[in-house]
Amino acid sequence: MIHSILFDREKCVACVACSKACPTRAIRVRQGAVQLKTELCIDCGACIRACPHDAVTARTSSPFDLKKFRYTVAIPSTTFFSQFGPDARPAQVAHALTRVGFDAYYDLSWMCEMVGRAVDTYLSDCKGPWPKISVTCPAIIRLIQIRYPDLLAHLVPIETPRELSAKLIRRKLSQERGLPPKDIGVFYTTPCSAIMESILSPVGLEESYFDGAFSTAELYGPLRKALRTGGGPAVEPSFSPKGLGWAIAGGESAMMRSTSTLAVSGMRDVTYVFDRIESGKFLSVDFIEAYGCPDGCVSGPLLIEGRYAAKRTMQRIIGTLGLPNPVKEEKVRSMFREHFFDLEDEVKAREIKPLTRNLRQAVRLKQEKAELMARLPGKDCAACGSPNCETLAEDILAGEAVEEDCVFVRLEQLAGAGGQRRGAARARKAGGGAGRKADP
Amino acid sequence: MTGLHERSWPGAGERECLYRETFRIAGNDYEHGGEVAARIKSIMKELGIDPGVIRRLSIANFEAEMNVIMYADEAEMEFSVGDGAVWVVLGDRGQGIPDVEQALQEGYSTATAEMRARGFGAGMGLPNIRRNTDVFQIESTPGTGTTLRYAIYTA
Repeated sequence: MIHSILFDREKCVACVACSKACPTRAIRVRQGAVQLKTELCIDCGACIRACPHDAVTARTSSPFDLKKFRYTVAIPSTTFFSQFGPDARPAQVAHALTRVGFDAYYDLSWMCEMVGRAVDTYLSDCKGPWPKISVTCPAIIRLIQIRYPDLLAHLVPIETPRELSAKLIRRKLSQERGLPPKDIGVFYTTPCSAIMESILSPVGLEESYFDGAFSTAELYGPLRKALRTGGGPAVEPSFSPKGLGWAIAGGESAMMRSTSTLAVSGMRDVTYVFDRIESGKFLSVDFIEAYGCPDGCVSGPLLIEGRYAAKRTMQRIIGTLGLPNPVKEEKVRSMFREHFFDLEDEVKAREIKPLTRNLRQAVRLKQEKAELMARLPGKDCAACGSPNCETLAEDILAGEAVEEDCVFVRLEQLAGAGGQRRGAARARKAGGGAGRKADP
Repeated sequence: MTGLHERSWPGAGERECLYRETFRIAGNDYEHGGEVAARIKSIMKELGIDPGVIRRLSIANFEAEMNVIMYADEAEMEFSVGDGAVWVVLGDRGQGIPDVEQALQEGYSTATAEMRARGFGAGMGLPNIRRNTDVFQIESTPGTGTTLRYAIYTA
């Protein structure tokens, strides 16, 4: 599996900020270097946000990648429009993409509205298990794959608006311009590492319809300049206000006819809710929209604008769009029946290999772990390089660390050795001479 | 005393215990409601128990724990792991259940049909515990307390 998270060894000072921020405890700092346990990483980008030294980034596309194609098109995320202030209209921002290296852009908001309608149609015919969970945030799907395999059956098996848009535009451009599909480069402007990862290693899809994704933060400078220097398009295309609402947690749920929906965001809150769904709670909820980032995509780790400013901008932009004709429900229903929206593949669990599959051994390891935990200080300082004492105990059992990695354990050993030395000296002075010589 | 024996509960000698831990639950302690069920769930995850078994036992444990918090004074939940099953014995001191048969009836509750379709409205949660376990036994003495025993086969 290819991950989108990249560590810059030059910039990294081997502090433990990323390790402590990681919701799946996938990061260790050993011998002054960061190690990623790739089987645990869900590419949520918490480490990117946490790093004070700018040493964690995402593997995103560069202008060089555009040269591989005869025709390139950018699909801006709905969040993209929240980055340039409330006065920059979506039509202007999208048009400016054609002045920073792309031949064209393709709108995503109407597809969001269509997918929202499709999910609503799905919910009305669906037999459970409840609640159904949105597949919009790739970090959440990956979290479910590694930690909540029971919840896989709760996922709504409907493809994301971004992949459906990429599939459509490639087909459309290929026909219109008479180009082979592989000569058309389709790129996303991503707010996060998780979507980049969903392009590199898709789930529920054999291969992504995207050729790559640009970090919104990296496009920001050139786009700002393009907005300042150039005018907008001659005819402004329309955007779906409901679709743009997907940038903020709750936007997707707002499209459901069911009033029993829940939007949850931020990994802590998501795990809180998922733990309870696993215990059979939240059964009366129809639909859960869950995001790894607080408030949804508007706080993605690859954005420039702060979360509150971005949210406010988005709400103001949606307010100014008026009420264009909504997507025709009958059309979505017939596309739904023709399986246009279906996820191509089943989402499967990603099993983390346990230390043992033998129950007796597992019980013994659990006891050993409890004994280790009793000897560790429980301060969760992470100075050892594991994110907390419990993880250090697990790493010791896995043979990846030793008890002496803990500074408190080492201090105690030093004090213990010192104490013995002093004790021996006293014994010699007293003429006892019985004390065995302490270690030098 | 009323009792109900559906499937046999093996004697102490018949089941080999690999792991056992007992948890205290206090009546009316809504603040910590569900914590024992959550701790047992994480123990089962740590021991690599089958996810389906974990899910079923966690649902049963949560219902049982909340029953204690809502209706009893205090209780001890004993969780044990055997080679072929996970077991729970929950003995509470409290008001007891006057009519166990009635409390065990599916839908003995005031919940709506829709809630029931979604697994809610199981009254005191007893039918939900029974539905999710392979072995289920209840004994109750009004004025003294209730003892629940339930298990799920793992092999």
